[in-house]
Amino acid sequence: MRVVQDMHEDREAVVKCAVGVTDGLDLDQHQGSALCPFLFAMKMDRLDHSLYGEHHHLVQSPWFAPVMTLKTSAPLRAEPKKKKKVDPRREQMLRERLKKKLKKLEKVPPELIPIEDFITPTKCLDETRERTAPRLSFEESEGRALLLKEWCRYKQKQHMAEVEAVELALEAQREALEELKLESEELYRAALKPDPLLIPFVHEGPAYTPAIPNYDAPDGKYNDITKVYTQ
Amino acid sequence: MQQKKMAAPCGRMASRPLLQFLSRFSRSPVGNTGFRQFSSATVCPVCLQRLPVISADCSPIEQQFKQMLHQIELEKSVLSDHELRLLEDAEKMSRKQADDYDSDEEDSHGDKEIMMAQDLEDIWEQKMKNFQPALRVRADVDKDLTSAERCLADSLVLLAEQEVGDEKLWLLPQTRWQEGETLRQTAERALTSLPAAGFKATFLGNAPCGVYKYKLPKAIRTENSIGTKVFFFKAILADGAPPKTKKAPFLWVKKSELQKYLKPAYMMKVERFILDL
Repeated sequence: MRVVQDMHEDREAVVKCAVGVTDGLDLDQHQGSALCPFLFAMKMDRLDHSLYGEHHHLVQSPWFAPVMTLKTSAPLRAEPKKKKKVDPRREQMLRERLKKKLKKLEKVPPELIPIEDFITPTKCLDETRERTAPRLSFEESEGRALLLKEWCRYKQKQHMAEVEAVELALEAQREALEELKLESEELYRAALKPDPLLIPFVHEGPAYTPAIPNYDAPDGKYNDITKVYTQ
Repeated sequence: MQQKKMAAPCGRMASRPLLQFLSRFSRSPVGNTGFRQFSSATVCPVCLQRLPVISADCSPIEQQFKQMLHQIELEKSVLSDHELRLLEDAEKMSRKQADDYDSDEEDSHGDKEIMMAQDLEDIWEQKMKNFQPALRVRADVDKDLTSAERCLADSLVLLAEQEVGDEKLWLLPQTRWQEGETLRQTAERALTSLPAAGFKATFLGNAPCGVYKYKLPKAIRTENSIGTKVFFFKAILADGAPPKTKKAPFLWVKKSELQKYLKPAYMMKVERFILDL
């Protein structure tokens, strides 16, 4: 403010306007000055004071001087002032378009979780680890083949025996249910109802040695290094 | 046309359940002379099984096969970390013992004692020897028929001595059916009412697993009860050894030993549903 005032203080010029010649305005404005709008505002202020104070006949003229400066100053004209509604809309549209593009990029299908059992660790493919394969004699390889065949037969017999046993048991149950039906309908219906408490049924399977009673198993420490994958 | 064809069997289908519904009402247990009255002489024995605790011994062919498989696996495998370490240590030893050995060439591990892989193996052997697992087979317990711990590799069935008619027989533990309870409840009662029992068992389902019919001797026959039906229920002994009481009339027998104790006709029906797999 002060600087501007100093710049323009001692310059007195006379402005010719429709009403007459004004006497020496304190402020003067250079045409095309960069401080135009600021000066304009200041001028308005000063003009109001001066004109209202001294020259009553110039009351109607405060808008003339600014109008003249408006016409002539280019920077004043060049500044954007009108875009109020269109701008936010356009910006919003831009933003939405960008978001859509981002979403499309982000729609990568989720990576499949690798099954670690199926991937041979590179440690095992190391050549230094290979064992020298022993050469089998003819008898041994023959023996192995024959043993495999015998095993096949043995297992088949075992399986057939199992299947037969299960079928017998089922047959026995079917008979029992038939007899029960003949005896009493009510009890038969009660027998057919599923037992909700049975499932889940938990039973510890056979181990190699029987459990030692009152055995205090030693506490073991272990670090769980399983990898957890999240999608 | 097709619609009419579909409608006809549908109509028949609708009438079938209706007929069944009606027939169900007609076949009530009481008041129908055609069918036997459900007598209270029915008994529900429970077939309590103790499943195997240890794995069975391998038959000769199984043993042979096991060895062969082990051999093949060893041949087809690669060296493990421990084995590599053993080889390295062996090499180091042979180098140390060679005449032209220069200790400065070796990567110096400082003054620390290096654990040889062989030493580790010895330590592990020692630990293994210190642990005494329980014996798989104990001959004295196996002979004791009343113990539930005998023959751990097989599944055992509980037999109780009960009076039927005039004679004492070895049977699966049973009680008579009472009005107002399902057959499974009778079987459960049979288990709990055994003297000095305390067996905890899981019953497998509500349905009986076998039936045995027999005709009463003519002396006891009445109009209604010509014979009785015996419905068997299966149960599995829960873990936890039951308290052993002496002179309790129980026997734990394998399927192969059942024949010695049960009557042949009874045995025939019972062995069908006892799985000895």
